[in-house]
Amino acid sequence: MTDATARTTLPPRAQIHAPSHRTVLVKRLLACLAGGVVLAMMVGSQEGSQTDYGYAFRKSVLEPRIVVFLGIGVLLFLAITYWPTIVPYLTRPGFWPLLSGALAVVAAITLMHWYDPAGDGKFSSTATVVSHAKNISALATAFFSWLAWAELLAIVIIGAASIILGLRRLAVVVAVAAVVAAIISYLAHQAVVNAGGHQIDHSLGYAAAILGYLVVAGAMMVSATTAAQQVESKALVGRMFAFRPGLPLVVIGAVLTLLAFLEARWFSPGDKNTTLSATHSLFAGSGLSSFEYDYLGWLGWLLLAIAVVVAGAAVWTRSRPLGWVAAVVGLAATLITLLTMYEMSKIGAQHKLDAATGPWQNLGAGGWMACGGLFLLGAAGFIAATALRPSATGVSGAHGRRGGPGFTSSDVVGTSTGSQKAIGYLSAPGAARTLLLIAVAAALFYPPTATSFWQEVVVSQIGISMLLAVGLNVVVGWAGLLDLGFIAFYAIGSYTTAYFVGSLPIKPPHWMIVTPLLTIPLAVLVCLLAGLALGAPTLRLRGDYLAIVTLGFGEIIHLSAVNSQGITNGSEGLTNDTQRHTKSVPQPSIHIGPLHIHWGLNQLQYWYLLLVFLVVIVLAFRRLEQSRLGRAWAAVREDEVAAQATGINTTKVKLAAFAIGASTSGVAGAFFASQIGVFTPDNFVLNNSILIVAYVVFGGMGSLSGAMAGAAMLTWLPQFLKYQVPPADKLMWIGAVVMLMMIFRPAGLIPARRRAAELHGLDVPSSAETLAVPASEGL
Amino acid sequence: MTQFFDYLILGLTRGSMYALIALGYTLVYGILQLINFAHSEVFMSGAFGSYIVVHLIVGSGSGTATWEVPIVIAVGMISGALTAACIAWTLERVAYRPLRRRGAPKLAFLIGAIGASFFLSTLASKLFNSQTTNQFPIFFDHNTTLFQIDGANVKALQAVIVLSALAMMVFLDRLVNVTKLGRSIRAVSEDAPTAALMGIDIDKTISRTFIIGGLLGGAAGFLFGLNFSFAYNMGFAPGVKAFAAAVLGGIGNIRGAMLGGLLLGVVENLVLLIPGFDASWTDVVAFIVLVGVLMFRPTGILGERVGRAA
Repeated sequence: MTDATARTTLPPRAQIHAPSHRTVLVKRLLACLAGGVVLAMMVGSQEGSQTDYGYAFRKSVLEPRIVVFLGIGVLLFLAITYWPTIVPYLTRPGFWPLLSGALAVVAAITLMHWYDPAGDGKFSSTATVVSHAKNISALATAFFSWLAWAELLAIVIIGAASIILGLRRLAVVVAVAAVVAAIISYLAHQAVVNAGGHQIDHSLGYAAAILGYLVVAGAMMVSATTAAQQVESKALVGRMFAFRPGLPLVVIGAVLTLLAFLEARWFSPGDKNTTLSATHSLFAGSGLSSFEYDYLGWLGWLLLAIAVVVAGAAVWTRSRPLGWVAAVVGLAATLITLLTMYEMSKIGAQHKLDAATGPWQNLGAGGWMACGGLFLLGAAGFIAATALRPSATGVSGAHGRRGGPGFTSSDVVGTSTGSQKAIGYLSAPGAARTLLLIAVAAALFYPPTATSFWQEVVVSQIGISMLLAVGLNVVVGWAGLLDLGFIAFYAIGSYTTAYFVGSLPIKPPHWMIVTPLLTIPLAVLVCLLAGLALGAPTLRLRGDYLAIVTLGFGEIIHLSAVNSQGITNGSEGLTNDTQRHTKSVPQPSIHIGPLHIHWGLNQLQYWYLLLVFLVVIVLAFRRLEQSRLGRAWAAVREDEVAAQATGINTTKVKLAAFAIGASTSGVAGAFFASQIGVFTPDNFVLNNSILIVAYVVFGGMGSLSGAMAGAAMLTWLPQFLKYQVPPADKLMWIGAVVMLMMIFRPAGLIPARRRAAELHGLDVPSSAETLAVPASEGL
Repeated sequence: MTQFFDYLILGLTRGSMYALIALGYTLVYGILQLINFAHSEVFMSGAFGSYIVVHLIVGSGSGTATWEVPIVIAVGMISGALTAACIAWTLERVAYRPLRRRGAPKLAFLIGAIGASFFLSTLASKLFNSQTTNQFPIFFDHNTTLFQIDGANVKALQAVIVLSALAMMVFLDRLVNVTKLGRSIRAVSEDAPTAALMGIDIDKTISRTFIIGGLLGGAAGFLFGLNFSFAYNMGFAPGVKAFAAAVLGGIGNIRGAMLGGLLLGVVENLVLLIPGFDASWTDVVAFIVLVGVLMFRPTGILGERVGRAA
């Protein structure tokens, strides 16, 4: 019977026309070599000159270095050709973790800082300093001259060999070696820091290397276990999330706070850089009130102990009341830590240490780390208090409220069909919330420890881009309308704010001039109207016609801003110019009763303001996505005619998308105007519109977290690349990354659930789709 | 009136370059229903490729005899066209074909193309230079007046641009409407699966469409560089305009792209006749015209699709 069916089916088309095998190979080899040549042109800092156009080309291609790049091309060729042979080895357990761990170590060695006082702080500069230093341990000397690379190479090669050959004992040995390597990097870094005396060092290269080696060690342990053991270890991780929700947070929080108390620096003005205990003795008799002084001495430890015990108990016993207690304790401990840091830095400012002008200056990373750790302990309590308990049957209770795949004990032991694939390390219901809370802790307490450069990047680029991407996601991702002029609404928001604070050449009536924060509703309103004004006449246009009209709209707004000297002060933008009656937009401030907050030049303050906006908008949009309107958008996006036939007023729905997207960028525009103060029409060029579309698509159309991740990634990348490649080449690498990303992961970084369902059919659990419809409204 | 013809001639010159670029957009759109945002970089590469060849032939350009001029122009145009065609072909192979195979969402193509566009323009600035006003060697007097229309001078370079653009457009029109390749392009753009069943190799047809678009764009790059200047970022502004022109005429429609390009160029220049408008408002007017036309004819002046153009 099988023979008969085989005879009747035609061979696939590719086989009929298949060119000879050799032609394919030759073509592939040529393509790979060409890729190598292109890579050779990309790498390096050559640039042509007016007189000699071929210079850069010759420098990059006709030098001996080309051999290396051609070699890369040949390797690529071999990899592609023998891919079917290679694949089985790549899917062996432990291989990908090994690779990513090794990459982390390579990145740590090549990209990150190892000792800040040494030149640019990178590994090579540190190595130079170490080789000239006299009183430094032999281990550190060896590490920075050859050991770092040698141990990495040995571990990767032997590790890969043990995975490929299936040698379990060897894998255990390599795991131990990886741990040793992690310890060596810690010791070497410590030796350098000790030899360097009291110079301030914020470098994190060693930490990344340790992390990488630990991942490698874990990978090797995984490869050393049997398949049955792996299923069990996955189940174990799952159980930790499912049956002791919050346990991972307790561990992370405790470790983080311990590190903060033991290792990290708490106070670092000028020449000082003190740990917790040293800070305690530093502030003896300085006028620090006894409560805060005690915190530095013993109260902090006590708080940590209480928080860990209560959170641990709450998580372990799954007690809801205890969970709430733990949450309150964690929050209180965080607040007390913040209070201590505030008082400490205030006293530092009174003494004008390191030219401090106010509180919150000269603080080390330790306090913030402790805040993060204690916050996570409280978060663990929160999870314990709110997690759904597994019911007696272990089936129904584990379904999360939002309908994630249920994680139950029967699933874990599981039949080998279907559900086996779905069990990952992070499919448990508590997992998503755990990750979310970790992200919140990072968003709250990481930025203060960053350098002022990164703080500015975080606020003025990453934060605002996220806001814009979330807004555009409504239009592009949900309603499926390609908007190439989104920046226009941002511009309108910014100029509206500038108008109502009286910064433009034309002034509103006197009684209408308000403070920047109060202009936000006005900016939102104006943007909303602009969105309607653009949307109403154009929405009957189909896809790409709409794209070009919005693009035109963006250009019209931009050029009008440039040309209307009398209204916007033209291309010079808003500067403090009495002749033209322009001034920069003032910084936001709040004066309500006893509450006085003024946002100054410190970027951190803006970060927290932005975070409030972002959280409010994201929460609102999450509700919106599942609402009647959100489902109507999805329907219009997928099939406009069908949507109309089911009674959706498509014009209204599309207009709503435009208006909501536009008003989001109104918020962003108002924030931007008062944060930056001085801006010109050049902030609103067409390229930026396209970039925002790129954020949304790169992150994953239609998914809020995707849009934010895409925005963060694509705004972080140029700042990161600034130090890795010649500045002029930045865009080239970004372009290459974007292109490769789209080729290999066209759905984006974090694809939306609903979109994933469209691409892969019915693979996703049907519950995800049906639960999107509230019980009151349908089915 | 003299002024009117002056601006009309300027507009036609500019418009015919727009039309050549717009044809690249419209061909690709017609066959794949996607906006090839990297086409502006294809155009840019044409200018660089032709510069290298022209520079090689005439050096600084001072000693070129009159009879050599047409040859140099032809060689420049061909070399620009070939360079751009190579880039366009590579682009299709590397960036578009894998996405097509995966059935990626349309916007993924768009963003991939934007990535490719960043990549190509920055690579050009790295390999050549990052100056924004590179000039071609002057191998003939661009400003020689050939003849006059009502007192308005028609200059040599303008005549070259308009005539060669017209020749290429006629050639393309015949190619699409008469030849076998043109028929397969129309078939694929009308209904790709059916075309495949009729024995048309879709991949090959798409590749060739990209090559044709690249040839026209590269020639336009040479003409543009000769008329104005060329630089690594020269593609962006004309690219956006040409895309607008393609939409204006009805994207996917070849004659529409020609008409849209010429119209946009002419309108952009004629608007300067209106008192109170200076050069800084031309782009605004261009886009307002575009929006206005689409308001009343939502699928462009001539409607869409390559197939229906014939």
